[in-house]
Amino acid sequence: MANKIAICAVAQIKNDPNYHYLRFQNMLLECFESIMKQTKVTFDMEKGIRTIITCSDDMFDARTISNNGMTDVVGAHFRGEEKMAQESINGLGYAMACILSGHDDLILFMGHCKESQGESRRMVSNLAYDPFYCRPLGMDYHNVDAMQARAYMEKSSVTDEHLAKVVVRSRKNGKNNPYGRENKIVTEKEVLQSPMYSDPLRELYVYPVTDWAYGMLLCSEERAKEFTKNPVYITGYGSCMDTYFLGDKDITSNFSLKNASQRAYAKAGIKDPKKDIQLFELSDHAAYQLPMWAEGVGIADEGKGGKWIDDGGMDKFNVNLSGGQLNGNPLLLGGAARAIECYYHLSNQAGDRQVKGAKRAVAQANYGGAGQHQAVIVMES
Amino acid sequence: MAEYWDIKVEDIFNSMQERFRPDGAKDVDAVFGYDILDEGKWKLTVKNNEMKLSKTDDLSGCISTMKADGETFVGVNTGKVDATNAFMSGKVKVEGDMGAFGKTGKLFRKYIIAKKEMTVKEYLADMFATIVPRFKAKEAEGLDAAFAFDLGGPQGGKWTVFIKDKVCTVTTEIEGSPTVTLEFNDAKDYVDFILGKIDAQSILAAGKAAAKGDINMMASKWPILFEKYKDPMGGNVQEQELLVLKKTIAVNQKFSTGPIMGKFLKGLKDKKIYANKCPKCGRLQLPPREVCAECRVRAADFLEVGPKGEVRYMDVVFYAMPDPLTGVARETPYGSINILLDGCKGNETLPHFIRKDQIEKIKSGWNEKKGTRVRPVWEENRIGDIWDIKYFEIDE
Repeated sequence: MANKIAICAVAQIKNDPNYHYLRFQNMLLECFESIMKQTKVTFDMEKGIRTIITCSDDMFDARTISNNGMTDVVGAHFRGEEKMAQESINGLGYAMACILSGHDDLILFMGHCKESQGESRRMVSNLAYDPFYCRPLGMDYHNVDAMQARAYMEKSSVTDEHLAKVVVRSRKNGKNNPYGRENKIVTEKEVLQSPMYSDPLRELYVYPVTDWAYGMLLCSEERAKEFTKNPVYITGYGSCMDTYFLGDKDITSNFSLKNASQRAYAKAGIKDPKKDIQLFELSDHAAYQLPMWAEGVGIADEGKGGKWIDDGGMDKFNVNLSGGQLNGNPLLLGGAARAIECYYHLSNQAGDRQVKGAKRAVAQANYGGAGQHQAVIVMES
Repeated sequence: MAEYWDIKVEDIFNSMQERFRPDGAKDVDAVFGYDILDEGKWKLTVKNNEMKLSKTDDLSGCISTMKADGETFVGVNTGKVDATNAFMSGKVKVEGDMGAFGKTGKLFRKYIIAKKEMTVKEYLADMFATIVPRFKAKEAEGLDAAFAFDLGGPQGGKWTVFIKDKVCTVTTEIEGSPTVTLEFNDAKDYVDFILGKIDAQSILAAGKAAAKGDINMMASKWPILFEKYKDPMGGNVQEQELLVLKKTIAVNQKFSTGPIMGKFLKGLKDKKIYANKCPKCGRLQLPPREVCAECRVRAADFLEVGPKGEVRYMDVVFYAMPDPLTGVARETPYGSINILLDGCKGNETLPHFIRKDQIEKIKSGWNEKKGTRVRPVWEENRIGDIWDIKYFEIDE
């Protein structure tokens, strides 16, 4: 088994449809102050924070080098600051690299995304595609995901009724999460009657536009007790980038997620995820992803996603008790949000939704259209 | 056969096919005749963007026929003889439809006398001589503009290109008040620029050239109005087409100010400039930010400063990028200043612009020496943004 790093504290603001009265600096500052208060960590050059990792996105922020406007509110003045311009989960992988290499033993990891700022998230994700071919075809994360959804649903016998179930459950779970976006509880019928975005994805199948920010303090195993009585450890990280061009891959194969999770499991010494892990926070940009990624991380049988939902797989494996992204969380930051939820459970701070005796959890994230990039972390109490 | 400037009449005709410009032949469907004294007769058929030339004895059926002697014909085609003069003096005559014959002007690239190199002067002559044939009238709808070129150096000269009522004319002087004037210290730089050997930005940045007047007209409109100049020395090698996708990316945004920047902008609306103060080190920040970055604490106390102050730093911008928020290029030169407002100290300076006509008079200061005293000039209708202050001016 590989070395591990500790999460000493987490902070977040409530997921909100539109923090119109705050700029992202204000959102981050709340989280920054919470981390400082919880841990009493300093910026001493010997014993304090010397490196800050931030996660943000130039396109969502509409400014190049989106991290440069926030260095002051994350305490990065006169310190090292590095940006993760990718799914936030990779910031945890980066923090691991910094700490396990021995170059640093304390990392502040902050992230923000204000999805309400831009006119259209679809116009933003359209820009992820190459300008010559895929952009003019109108590709964005919604309609590319829809293509994957259709193919996957066919392969794994997942129906619209299954997806409606996923959405209804997400909203219910979200109500138990004090940081969850305020949404109305919906019925399966309402989900199935919501407007069609890209067939088969309806409005309520897709995560809602959300503003959010978070902070985490990470350190070496040795130093964890300086900042918390309840450290949670990251014991495995695996990441895999599938092909950029949609046409190059089998979009139902779960190739990159299987790779990423196997790498993370190997590092964490997981033999059977169904038995060894008590909690899963999985990516759900759209409802179809939940059973699909459940197959990818090995808790649903391949090609049996529909049956897995019928058999109560979501509750049996404690999947997305936070409400998940479907209840509201920015696309970019899902990985951090899931790791934070796992942290609450593993440090016994999850309140009403606490999984009793949870020892191990998995947070997974994906980015890009049709699950192009996948990353998985294994966390332990 | 006689030769004029080492060129035979036959050379002009024989090179017509390779000098032919399909672009210039659009909408032309006619037969033209050439009757060159003691040389012979030629018939030029233009149809479907293609041409056919034949030597003939019979010029019947031509819509118009040009008559000239060999020397005049070669001279006009090579730029050795002024075409307008030749026509006015009767050395060139056109029989038949005069208007139709005018279209032949755009049918061909100019005949270039073969030699190893062209001088700057020759390039300039060729560049401006081809202006009219390169002119794209359909792009000039409603345009009334004069583009002046003041190109210095021993081989330079002056030209004005007039565009009005979709007609383009060129003079070899600068008359009246042009819409925009392009000045180059050395005409050679202009030639290199047009030939793509150097880029405009580096010439402008080096102060070797300047554009005065409606710069946008020169930067944005000129390239659309004319076909690109083709280097005659580039031979007849077909230029490879470079495929480029041109797109403007725009996603509308709504940037929240938050309470701190919001308070500052609201202050401007009320003609007040607010700095915020760090409760720990006492440092002021302009414009205010949420925290003191050095002390890592919130800085929520506001202090009214200025509005007068002294100039600390200054810079004069000659080459301006377009304002990304409006897409309009700022008028240059403009003076950027950092002002130490009254009530501020050290590095607590606020950036803004200085009144245009006062740029030359500004003196920068530092801790030991006071800079020029300035005061804000407020916009009449203030909306709570940076331009509520139009600029600063000298406080006399």
